[in-house]
Amino acid sequence: MKHVIGVIVFIVVLASAAWGALNVNLLLPAQASQQAQPIDSLFNLQFKLVAVLFGLIAGILLYSVIFFRRKKGDETDGPHITGNTPLEITWTTIPFLLVIGLSLIGSQALAETLRVDPRAIEVKVTGQQWSWRFEYPAYGITSDVLYMPLNKQVLFKITSIDVIHSFWVPEFRVKQDAVPGRVDELRVTASKIGEYSLVCAEICGTKHANMASVVKVISQEDFTAWVAGELGATVANPADRGAKWLKQYGCLACHSVDGSKMVGPSFQGLYARQEEMESGATVSADDAYLIESIRQPAKQVVKGFPNAMPPAAGEALTDVQIQDIIEYIKTLK
Amino acid sequence: MTTKAESLTRYRHNAATNRLGLWLFILSDVFAFAGILVSRWALWGNTRPDLNQVLGLIVTSVLLISSFSMNRAEVAAAHGDRKQFMIFMSLTILLGIAFLAGVVGIEWQESPYAPSDNIYGAIFYLMTGMHAFHVLCGVIFLLLVLRNGLRGLYTPEKHWPVEAGAIFWHFVDVVWIFYYPAIYLMGNLVR
Amino acid sequence: MTHKSVNPFSLGLVRGLIGLIIASPLGIGLVSVLLAAQGQEWLVGKFWFTEPAWVLGAVFGSVGFLIGVGAFNDWVKVALGEEVHETHEADPSLPSWTRYYNFSLDHKVIGVQYAVTCLIMFSFAGLFALIFRTELIQTGLQYMTADFYNTMMSLHGIVMIMAILLGLAAMMNYLVPLMIGANDMAFPRLNAFAFWINVPSGIALLSSIFLGGFDTGWVGYPPLSVRAPLGMQMFFLGVYLFGLSSILGALNIIATIVRCRAQGMTPFKMPIFVWTALATAIISLTATQLIALSFQMVMFQRLLGMGFFDPAKGGDVILFQHLFWFYSHPAVYVFVLPGLGMISELLPVFTRKPLFGYKWVALSSIAIALVGFFVWAHHMFTSGMQEFLRVPFQYSTLLVAVPTGVKFFSWVATLWRGKISFETPMLFILGAIVVFLTGGLSGPPNGTVATDLHLHDTYFIVGHFHATMFGGFVFPFFAALYYWYPKVTGRMYNERLGQLHFWLLLPGFILQSFGQMFVGLLGMRRRIADYDPSLNIEQPNILVTIAGLVIGLSFIIFVFNMLYSAKRGVVSAANPWRSRSPEWLLPTPLPVHNYPQPLEVLGEPYDYGLAGSTYVRVNPQSAAAD
Repeated sequence: MKHVIGVIVFIVVLASAAWGALNVNLLLPAQASQQAQPIDSLFNLQFKLVAVLFGLIAGILLYSVIFFRRKKGDETDGPHITGNTPLEITWTTIPFLLVIGLSLIGSQALAETLRVDPRAIEVKVTGQQWSWRFEYPAYGITSDVLYMPLNKQVLFKITSIDVIHSFWVPEFRVKQDAVPGRVDELRVTASKIGEYSLVCAEICGTKHANMASVVKVISQEDFTAWVAGELGATVANPADRGAKWLKQYGCLACHSVDGSKMVGPSFQGLYARQEEMESGATVSADDAYLIESIRQPAKQVVKGFPNAMPPAAGEALTDVQIQDIIEYIKTLK
Repeated sequence: MTTKAESLTRYRHNAATNRLGLWLFILSDVFAFAGILVSRWALWGNTRPDLNQVLGLIVTSVLLISSFSMNRAEVAAAHGDRKQFMIFMSLTILLGIAFLAGVVGIEWQESPYAPSDNIYGAIFYLMTGMHAFHVLCGVIFLLLVLRNGLRGLYTPEKHWPVEAGAIFWHFVDVVWIFYYPAIYLMGNLVR
Repeated sequence: MTHKSVNPFSLGLVRGLIGLIIASPLGIGLVSVLLAAQGQEWLVGKFWFTEPAWVLGAVFGSVGFLIGVGAFNDWVKVALGEEVHETHEADPSLPSWTRYYNFSLDHKVIGVQYAVTCLIMFSFAGLFALIFRTELIQTGLQYMTADFYNTMMSLHGIVMIMAILLGLAAMMNYLVPLMIGANDMAFPRLNAFAFWINVPSGIALLSSIFLGGFDTGWVGYPPLSVRAPLGMQMFFLGVYLFGLSSILGALNIIATIVRCRAQGMTPFKMPIFVWTALATAIISLTATQLIALSFQMVMFQRLLGMGFFDPAKGGDVILFQHLFWFYSHPAVYVFVLPGLGMISELLPVFTRKPLFGYKWVALSSIAIALVGFFVWAHHMFTSGMQEFLRVPFQYSTLLVAVPTGVKFFSWVATLWRGKISFETPMLFILGAIVVFLTGGLSGPPNGTVATDLHLHDTYFIVGHFHATMFGGFVFPFFAALYYWYPKVTGRMYNERLGQLHFWLLLPGFILQSFGQMFVGLLGMRRRIADYDPSLNIEQPNILVTIAGLVIGLSFIIFVFNMLYSAKRGVVSAANPWRSRSPEWLLPTPLPVHNYPQPLEVLGEPYDYGLAGSTYVRVNPQSAAAD
């Protein structure tokens, strides 16, 4: 009896300590989406459960280690207890009911994160090595920064043009892989104005760690203003437009404009330069060559660089956009 | 010195262990074949490629008949009938080689797909290739059994290698019973 | 102690390496000639470096190694109908240590070979971890390129997995036949073969560093693994070979347990470790085929352009993940079950009490193995697989907690009112329970879909599985090495160094794993060479790296203890732990054919505290008298 009271004290102390330490508010990033709410309450519930179970096992273990030590020189054995079937049935049944209950609650939380708002804004998200691109089909806008209106559900249609990436904003909690050849959906209702970081959570090669985009959650008015600004912004100068395309279509993840060597050749001073190819041939970087290396990147690879550019990278661009890009490259002396 | 009875008991004990080992190996192999079959369903779904149906039927019949002759050879070995054993063993091996010639020699050359064309080519070559590899291993094994049988190494009491060859051969045959419809028959034809 | 000089060619390892060096260029040359004959461009400098050439070179090299070692000698004889000896004895003209470098059929020698190879691979993998952890002390890239980081990180994962499989094989090979009263494994040649293919496998894996590395992590997901450098193929090949070893080893363990038990060794009288070995072997035997298949398909996609996982050819990227995880999740039960068996095996010895609820513990292992076949897709909750699959897999995943809970409750019930002593093996067992508890309790948040949407691919997962691997394998493995050390070497390890090892490892590990979980919850992703300074996780990352260094230090102390004590240790008593298990009743060193007289089973394995009971009787002397 003495031992039973003692061990209960141990269990309670350890469980309370774990209960205190496992605080959702301290352990998780700030909450910035409606989908995060059910997830965080589920975290909270699980942390409490973990604390209790930790206290239970660790309490008995610690108590035994302290109070059931073998005395020096004692060569005798302990009591001959081989088991207890009712006890075994108890600690099989209760955990079974617990996990079924937890699973049930978990399914409900999942269902809440999937709740559909028919008025959701659709955003097409395309991942590529190593950048994100966002298209707003309703407005015809393409952007390299993700703008989201506050308290309005956004339906992301996520895909990739090369390898698997994963769409994740820690503050939103939810995550969805961007898989080539598929379009997967993810719904997020941003609930807090601010600037966040959208990162890639699935390893995608060399610069995986740096694959990130800015997410701006703004008020509905600001969002409307941004849309109007984007639509009204016609850039007259082709070279300026080209610079914009390079940024929006993720080209700058691999090609610099200042001569520094990245995964692909730099655009600086590229136009009309004599380039040596892997095949040994020398090619002049004229319009025809540039168009070809955007449309069919694997056909001629510049010496010293890997054949890493996905064929689909250039397919998203129109002929006019490519002409704009060439105009821009001409200016990079 | 061990007596004949002791030697036979030990042989039977070892053969039983080996038999368990072989069945465990087959169980393991089943998972590989099943994985490929699952891939076929995932990628082809309810479709099938345009293959030579007559040839498919012929090679399937050849393999089924070879299973029968394998069984006769094993029974012959159990009865100590050397001549029957030789005839049916050779027949099994020849049929096995005929199957390989039909699949690898003709069907692979005739097939409208190259392995790199699309998933039809890819899965077709994976399924037939994996199976043909097993048939090839079986043929080599049976050739060794035939050679040793002709040298008189097997008796009605001691012929575990013949039995092993037979079990493996039937297994390869059963796999084809699943693979043949999955490749040739099920689903809508794709042009 | 001086060894008399030995002709190096009498060592199988040396002959094997020569075979590898001869055969690899043959494979490379063959493909090159074939490509040349097909009219491929013959470019000096480039031509030898085509991918198919290297792959076939590595395959040839592996076969050459095995031929050199002598793995095929007996099988060729069998195939040609010649007599082979049931068990062949080591060449008596050679000193006994050469057995360990040769194709020995003795399961005890193979066990030691596995253990040493495990520790070597473990050191490599640990070193890789320390190298890439250094990069994470600060934000930004300071010490290495991102590609090198990715290679180190990926290799750390896969080499650790190989080391764990080797360590399990070491425990199972050495102990299972001894524990069930068998004289050897059911298939000794297959056993030796399964060990030796690990050597070319390890060489292939490590060679990937020099062949461009690979940047996919240990999972090798296509399409990234289709685009990765040549090192990727060496990774696939290495996994393929040690996967084959795992399958053959598992087949052997099952056959041994089923066919080679001593008279009276009924299933519920077997030492509990044997049950976990059986459960592990069931998974290894079957599920391993699927990872081999998935990797083979990527190899074919790279070599032949077969478009299994290429969307442009109608392939499906998700299919790979299903095939891959069908093995790779059960694999974690392969990794931990024998370790959990080790905990159950040693607790009674050090508490002097029977194992609480033997049958429940035995069956819980089988239950974990069986449920383990139906949980794989919990690695794919965010992958874009069919949505209706997510919730069923959440239920099945959480169900694993039930048999695991049975084990925990049985362990603490065994401790309760025992007479506990705290020698090094027991410390590691207690450490294992604590660490596995943290690993187990961090599991449900990953297994529940909603919370996993946040946790997937973060450092929380990294912390979680390191805790399960350390609790389920590393700690119990160390316990086993210390516990059976006197049986293997005849000498006692140094107790002080053993305790020091433990008291560095446990706090070091807990700090590391809690640190990893902490930064993961805050948003640090897995497999990143660099992290955003705005996350404010630099300090915990420094702590994790320091903890890693402490773990490394403790490992060096351990290795020193093992080597030092083998020569200078106190000669051990025959049964220093007063264990009831049969192997401790045999003399040290163990006889070549363990039990010259059949083992007699008289009672229950763990009846500590029951006056006058015995488990088994072994009578090795009487054999010599006969």
